[in-house]
Amino acid sequence: MRWLRFAIGLLIALTLHSLLDSFYPNALAFFNPYVILAVYYAMGGNLVGAIFAGIAAGLVQDAYSGAIFGLHAFSLTVVAYAVAYINSRLVLRGALVFGACLFGAVIVHELVIFVLVNILLKQRIEMFEQGMIVKAIFTSLFGMLVYQLLTLFLREEPVEAARRPAY
Amino acid sequence: MIRSAAATPPLWTWRKFCSGRNGVMAVPVDVIPRRPTLLFIVVLSLLFVLMSLSSRTRYVGETRTMFERTVMTIFSPVPKTVNWIGRTASDMYHGYLDMRRAVNENLALHRKVIELTTENLKLRQSETDLNRLRGLLGYSEELSMPTSMAQAVMLDTSGRFKSIIIDRGSASGIQVNDAIVNASGLIGRVVLTTRDMAKVQLITDANSSVGVLIERTRRQGVLRGDGAGGAQLYDIPSLADVQPGDTVLTAGIDGIYPKGIPVGTITRAEKGQDLFKNISVKPSVDFGTIEEVIILHTRKIPGAVLRYTP
Repeated sequence: MRWLRFAIGLLIALTLHSLLDSFYPNALAFFNPYVILAVYYAMGGNLVGAIFAGIAAGLVQDAYSGAIFGLHAFSLTVVAYAVAYINSRLVLRGALVFGACLFGAVIVHELVIFVLVNILLKQRIEMFEQGMIVKAIFTSLFGMLVYQLLTLFLREEPVEAARRPAY
Repeated sequence: MIRSAAATPPLWTWRKFCSGRNGVMAVPVDVIPRRPTLLFIVVLSLLFVLMSLSSRTRYVGETRTMFERTVMTIFSPVPKTVNWIGRTASDMYHGYLDMRRAVNENLALHRKVIELTTENLKLRQSETDLNRLRGLLGYSEELSMPTSMAQAVMLDTSGRFKSIIIDRGSASGIQVNDAIVNASGLIGRVVLTTRDMAKVQLITDANSSVGVLIERTRRQGVLRGDGAGGAQLYDIPSLADVQPGDTVLTAGIDGIYPKGIPVGTITRAEKGQDLFKNISVKPSVDFGTIEEVIILHTRKIPGAVLRYTP
């Protein structure tokens, strides 16, 4: 059931991606729906699930973003794993905490991409710091809104819904 | 009715958003899962290989790897649908905008057509006026005496006494007995002047008399108005050669009208009861259409000359 929700979320993220690409081609420079999806799933605390969620979300983003294929998948996998790991140790609840998680996740995501692009393509990303901060702020705000809407209308608590012993 | 706030707690409050159940708690040690470190490393390694392959294929001209194409194919309905919806919505929106624009443009063009039609009518009227005035001006230039032009402002041809009022008077040098003509021929003479108006007696007035001659035979006579829109030619002997269609001109013998101005055309010439013929003349001027007129400042015969009897 949780994977089905993730799949629906992935389709929604891709729809949002396509929509933004159609109307505001540079919109994904300010906001990343795939990070929200991966972090939301990872907050369940399931480490294995988080790894696969990161791969899936990242590969879809890679396929439609023109980046090196696997770049976002790698980065999102790292982020999702980190969030899931933290959530396996701590119970994180509420929109504000989710927003803080997202903020950190976007920073890590962008840093990983920065390092990989440097290694693989020997390129520097222009205005990296400013872009990263702006993206982190907008993604966090949008993510908090999504979290709040999901809590209100679906009565879903990502932490408690998936919390279970690993083995 | 007083509604109890406690009975139905609000779905969302700022307080609830910031505090309450939100926060960070430690997970009991017995439910902490084991880390799938090996899986994580393997996945990252595979992804790194995938990235390397992808970055290498880019350098050799291949833009998509097979794996990338597969992912794109699987998810392609989503962007296609979004694109289709976006395009349809955009088409509908632009279609609506185009329709609104077309409606507004149509209204504007409609107004423009009305404006242009009105302007066209005015221009046609101006052209007609211009042609008429050109004819009048050409005619006045042919005359060998001082002339001025005036506009007919009032026309009375309905009663027995036929007259028009023109918009020039003594201030413009108009005097009583000045002859009034237009391009078609003789209209009448000035019988009354004020400072800026003058009254003109038409040749069709029952009290009007004009010394005339028949152009073809040079036979002279007197033309008097019949008070009904026409005129009668008097003092033409019964034996004189007069035929319908003959043109009648001013004879220049009455001291008012200069010689040679067209007066009209004979329409009927019959033998009268006494020694003269009954001749009807149709004036060459259509008095119902008079607009501009030419005033001929003719040389008047001094009163002393008129009154002198040898």
